[in-house]
Amino acid sequence: MSFWDFVGSRRQQLLMDTYQHASAVFQCMVVAAVIGIGIGMLTYRNERAGRLAIATTVTIMTIPSYALLGLLIPALGLGVPPTVTALVLYALLPIVRNAIVGLRGVDPSLVDAARGIGMSRAAQIARVELPVAWPTILTGIRVATQMLMGIAAIAAFASGPGLGNEIFAGISSLGSANSLNQVLAGTLGIVVLALLFDAALVLIGRLTTSRGIRA
Amino acid sequence: MTAGPGTEEAQPVTSALQSAPMPRKVTAKKLIVTPIVIVLALIGTYVWISNVSLDPIEKNSLSGALVRQALWQHIRLTAYSTFFVLVIAIPLGIALTRGGVRKASPVATAIANLGQSIPSIGLLALLTFWLGIGPRTALVGMVAYAVLPVLSNTMSGLRGIDPQLVDAARGIGMSGFGVLTKVELPLAVPLILAGVRNALVLNVGTGTLAGFVSGGGLGTLITNGIVTQRTRVLIVGSVLAVALALFVDWLASLAELQLTPRGLEES
Amino acid sequence: MPEGDAVTGATIELDELTKRYGHSAQPAVDGVSMEIAAGETVILVGPSGCGKSTCLRMINRLIEPTSGRILINGEDVTGIDPVKLRRRIGYAIQSSGLFPHMTVAENIAQVPKMLGWSKSTVRDRVEQMLDLVGLDPREFHGRYPRQLSGGQQQRVGVARALAADPPVLLMDEPFGAVDPITRDHLQDELIRLQHELHKTIVFVTHDFDEAIKLGDRIAVLREQSHIAQFDTPEAILTNPADDFVSGFVGAGAALKRLNLTRVRDVGVVDVPTAAMDDPRETVVDRLREGTSNELLLLDRRGRPYKWLRTGDLALAKGSLARAGTPVTGHVSRDATLRDALEAVLTDSAGRVPVTGRRGEYVGVVDMETLMNSVHELLEADRMAAIEHRHDLEEMRAHHTQEQLEAGFGEGGR
Repeated sequence: MSFWDFVGSRRQQLLMDTYQHASAVFQCMVVAAVIGIGIGMLTYRNERAGRLAIATTVTIMTIPSYALLGLLIPALGLGVPPTVTALVLYALLPIVRNAIVGLRGVDPSLVDAARGIGMSRAAQIARVELPVAWPTILTGIRVATQMLMGIAAIAAFASGPGLGNEIFAGISSLGSANSLNQVLAGTLGIVVLALLFDAALVLIGRLTTSRGIRA
Repeated sequence: MTAGPGTEEAQPVTSALQSAPMPRKVTAKKLIVTPIVIVLALIGTYVWISNVSLDPIEKNSLSGALVRQALWQHIRLTAYSTFFVLVIAIPLGIALTRGGVRKASPVATAIANLGQSIPSIGLLALLTFWLGIGPRTALVGMVAYAVLPVLSNTMSGLRGIDPQLVDAARGIGMSGFGVLTKVELPLAVPLILAGVRNALVLNVGTGTLAGFVSGGGLGTLITNGIVTQRTRVLIVGSVLAVALALFVDWLASLAELQLTPRGLEES
Repeated sequence: MPEGDAVTGATIELDELTKRYGHSAQPAVDGVSMEIAAGETVILVGPSGCGKSTCLRMINRLIEPTSGRILINGEDVTGIDPVKLRRRIGYAIQSSGLFPHMTVAENIAQVPKMLGWSKSTVRDRVEQMLDLVGLDPREFHGRYPRQLSGGQQQRVGVARALAADPPVLLMDEPFGAVDPITRDHLQDELIRLQHELHKTIVFVTHDFDEAIKLGDRIAVLREQSHIAQFDTPEAILTNPADDFVSGFVGAGAALKRLNLTRVRDVGVVDVPTAAMDDPRETVVDRLREGTSNELLLLDRRGRPYKWLRTGDLALAKGSLARAGTPVTGHVSRDATLRDALEAVLTDSAGRVPVTGRRGEYVGVVDMETLMNSVHELLEADRMAAIEHRHDLEEMRAHHTQEQLEAGFGEGGR
């Protein structure tokens, strides 16, 4: 069976996996972005707190994803919970780091001007600091998303959702007629998803970045 | 005065390939804390496993010989793949920043970025259809995966050098080779080392997946644990893999500390 | 070999030097011909983009000329190995170009090492060079460039350029990136060095004041490095070849003229001096003998220390240590008249001691000597310019005419 015949015959299953993969990555990314930007906002003004936040997330990044899953399974069981936890944890580093760097990089005179015209602290963050730091933060989200695509594939072995299931099914049936097609479909699906997500994030960046600071 | 690129802390992550921006600044505290944490975790796991009664499957999976073999395989896979990564990526990175070849470097970067979006497990699985199963396949996959960050860091390290320094080096009469070895490479060292460190960590991580293509390594313990639903096997495999990753990262940070030219260190 | 004494520079001859990039119709540098005498300092000055840097960089062939020849000491170097050529030519650039991963000593040692000097020779040479540029070898030897101030980095840059004792020194806006005060110091240092070494220096800048201060001759370049005027600073100031040059010279030519003459070239006056260790009686005697009621006390190394007036001794109850007012300002013999004027104007009593290389007392300048010198200078310039005055007046008349016409246009407001 050729690859395209395979894709045609398994369309329903593949679409389901693709949707679940995309959905898992998307949701985890949103959660990680909220948490990550939150951590960034809480720590960027304090040298030590910022360093601690970055050091912690760097350590998480150092841990092999398969091993982290292995540690999460005894606590959370198989399936969605360990997958989501692992994905969120891995997404934190680039987002936290870029949030801190981006917020710290805001020209102090801007903040000063904002205070000078009478903005509250919340308004300073929401109207001045976050918008200026946004392109940097968004870059962090892009990097995180790309990583999550691959890690989500591995999580399928712990009964997680998504295209990783196709890859593992292919691996476990090595030698059978469709194993290559399965692996190929899973892998290519993830590559395509990664590219689509990246393009979407670039587009979001264009739409949400003030024209005044766009490169 | 411009020092080497990427050594200062205030740099965002711009690509999954670029590892220098991560400020794994080695502090004296971290130098001591990391190995202590690793050793404590290992001792704790060992004591715990020795004091619980294991069923036959667990006993079988956690026999000293088997665990040692998995660990040893993992270390070997990591060492070999890192060696090949260095041998391939650094010269390639140098070549892609020289003369006429430089025009090809955007293409190389694009390919590298695209390659990075291939999931590691998918890459390993696809390789088995070409190379069969076994450690060799795992090795090829790990190398292919980790070449990218080192290549990318080598290139941006060399490109990031202040052109005035190269001009000065040529101006005082250094040959092209002299400029490369005496000025460009030493200045790119921090970024190259960051890439190598990243590659090492990446290799330990991808190494956990080697088991899926019969390449051995600590991943086999984790997989065994999941398949046979034996939590203890799973935990031992995971703890060892985490410990190995942290240890390798720690070793690499020592190397960074040693090898970074002194004039480039942060004051 | 590594001996700093009175080595003379080499002649440089540029013969129809042209650089054309790609297939563009306009060459970046179009047929520059120039002869530079041995030991001469020539400044290439011109607006940005005029190709002056390209011109300089063709001399050590960092940029290969499209056509034309370069002769150094009569030898055609257009065809020889550029790497070997560059080892024979000193090269200093803006923001010093020091290698950040090497110590100061390693930076300076680069060229001698490449030339295969022995280790001990190189080491001695490094010390000597640091000394030469006024940095204490013991202190600066092992430092890294980032541990130096901008001015110190620049000094090391010059030391590196001179390390192998090249007859020719190329400098591409070397003082462009330092603050004005440091720049001034570095310029003075360079003048001092050049008095000792007599290298052939080709120096690129866009700062005309710098050109006047440093140059034996100045080449004012317009676009494509066409030479608008190549002459001594005096001649360019008093007799600019055309509108382009006079536009570049800018306003205040009379004041700039003061930059061209150094204290060493005008008469300094002597005042009575005494050493700090001299017995009181000697000091009192000298004060009485002197024409003025002032005496300059020198410290143990012969440097100006204190001004002592007749009344001071009485006030301080005879103790030399407490009497008098400390010397606040002084100018070196290499200082320009402009610097001296500045110092004299600032000094409360209108006189400033002049010092030699090691800070030792040489004489004193005051308002009167300065005024006399300036008058003499300007008179001489006037004589020289008198034959061109007619042309200038004609030009000015033309200019005024234009202005008048333009003024009428706006007159209706």
